[in-house]
Amino acid sequence: MHLDAGPRIKKDPWFIIGSTLLVLVFFGAFIGPLLVPWDPHDTGFVPLSPPSAHHWLGINDGGMDILSELLWGLRNTVVFGLIAAIAGLILGGGIGLVSAWMGGWIDQFFMRLADIVLAIPAVMILILLAAFFRPPSAVLALTLAALTWPTTARGIRAQALTLKNSLHITAARRMGGSNRYVIFRHLMPELFPLYLINFAAKIRMAVFMEASLAFLGLFDPAQKSLGLMISYALKYYYLDIWANWLVPPILLLSLLIMGATFLTISLEKIFDPRLQESV
Amino acid sequence: MRTRQHKWSRPVFAYLAAALILVYLSYLLPQLLPGDFVTAMYAGADVSLNALQEAELKAYFLDNQTFGEYLGNLVRLDWGYSAAFFAPVSTLFFAALPWTIVLMGTAHILSSFLGFFLGVEAAWRRGSLVEKSGVGTMTVLEGIPEICTGALLLLVFSLHLGWFPAAGAQTAYAEQTTFQWVLDVLHHLTLPLITLVAAYFPGNFLLARAGMVMVLKKQFVLTAKAKGLPPGRVRYAHAARNALLPLVTRFGLRFAFMVTGALVVETIFSYPGLGTLLFNAISMRDLPLIQGIVLFASLMVLVVNLCMEWVYTLLDPRVSHAS
Repeated sequence: MHLDAGPRIKKDPWFIIGSTLLVLVFFGAFIGPLLVPWDPHDTGFVPLSPPSAHHWLGINDGGMDILSELLWGLRNTVVFGLIAAIAGLILGGGIGLVSAWMGGWIDQFFMRLADIVLAIPAVMILILLAAFFRPPSAVLALTLAALTWPTTARGIRAQALTLKNSLHITAARRMGGSNRYVIFRHLMPELFPLYLINFAAKIRMAVFMEASLAFLGLFDPAQKSLGLMISYALKYYYLDIWANWLVPPILLLSLLIMGATFLTISLEKIFDPRLQESV
Repeated sequence: MRTRQHKWSRPVFAYLAAALILVYLSYLLPQLLPGDFVTAMYAGADVSLNALQEAELKAYFLDNQTFGEYLGNLVRLDWGYSAAFFAPVSTLFFAALPWTIVLMGTAHILSSFLGFFLGVEAAWRRGSLVEKSGVGTMTVLEGIPEICTGALLLLVFSLHLGWFPAAGAQTAYAEQTTFQWVLDVLHHLTLPLITLVAAYFPGNFLLARAGMVMVLKKQFVLTAKAKGLPPGRVRYAHAARNALLPLVTRFGLRFAFMVTGALVVETIFSYPGLGTLLFNAISMRDLPLIQGIVLFASLMVLVVNLCMEWVYTLLDPRVSHAS
């Protein structure tokens, strides 16, 4: 299904740009906070001062260094995206594989459950949860994963079903391979590209969701976030501070989502079995 | 063979049951959520309440009704009284609904039609320079979230250049003729609409193009070309029809999640739709209002899903044969 994918994907410009962007942004998110000299919660600087040698992006209205705020915010956003994407992938992949392999009432049960979960507006649940319970953002990320697994499960189930009746799987079963053996040794590795696609798509969705919720002020205001920075900076549009306060978080958020989007689109293009057959 | 009538009405009962469950959940919502209006309003205020006053206020704002009464009131459009806005919930709701429908409806219809048409044309011209640059631009646009487009548009075009208003859906207290009023509404609509179209159109374009590229490889398209049909007819009457289904699905899903989809853009541009109303209601812990909007948004998903099942059978005969 994907023997020649390696060389093909290395030539795809979208894959190269997307992965470069993501690596850079992840680097900034995890290494950046260690390098900035200021604590993002330190309010001891002169509010609204312009960029200087000590504070490359200036100071915000609360007297906090914008660069440290930016990198810590980026880190929180990326961590939220990773938690939601990993949890969603494990949940969706697991359920998809199990229901494809088991079939029967287990399959029926999980697919009806998927229908129901898909009809719940995830944003609404997250908003209610965030507004009334103020949980830590990891809990919100896990909730998001619990509400978005069906898309992954359906895709993986559909592919696993076509694999289920292929020759080598039938051979493995005839030779007496147990359910666990076939799922872990044959089914799971062969669907590998699907995990990548779903992972990139889920990161994109989760980061977007985190930025929206933070922008609406539904997260803990003490927790730095790109969305929250945008919403604060917009209030000071009449000052000349937008170039160093509003534009950086907008740019970083766009680059992050762009990287994930390019990666998803490129991987889909390379690995989509329907495109493969018809080439 | 079953009658057609039976087949059309079959999903309705399942959806009605689901709707009843949703209404029941909405009825339970006030007991499930912590925090109440009295605490939220008086915690930061300068008055301090003694225990008796607090209990009385809570009793005043809390309505004890059975599920039957709740259902009856729902049908009679008596959705409770918003304590934060000093108005009945239904009044607030129906004042906001048209703006959301105007904004989201226009954005969805515009981006769906544009996406479908341009996507089909792009697939037809696959490999040309125009197509390649078009796909590139759309991929980049797809990567820019609506918060960023919205904030930048607001900053540049309404705050710095002053070409467009920064808030609202119409000029307040203006004495205008109907024509002027329409122009005024369009003027207010422009920036949020552009933001939404920029968010939805690229995805539709890429989806339509991908579907169409696959359809164009099919034998029947070759047959249609070989018959000597004009290219426009091959494209739209034969090929594009088969690439339409995923777009319709996306349109339905997006339309179903209209209220939540409008949330960010409406908040950025202070557009007085349901998204802004929900946002304000949540920040003031105004439960009856939250209840009303959440229930409407959830029921909307059900209704759109039901409609989609019917549309599928209309568009694709295979679906009705399969069931």
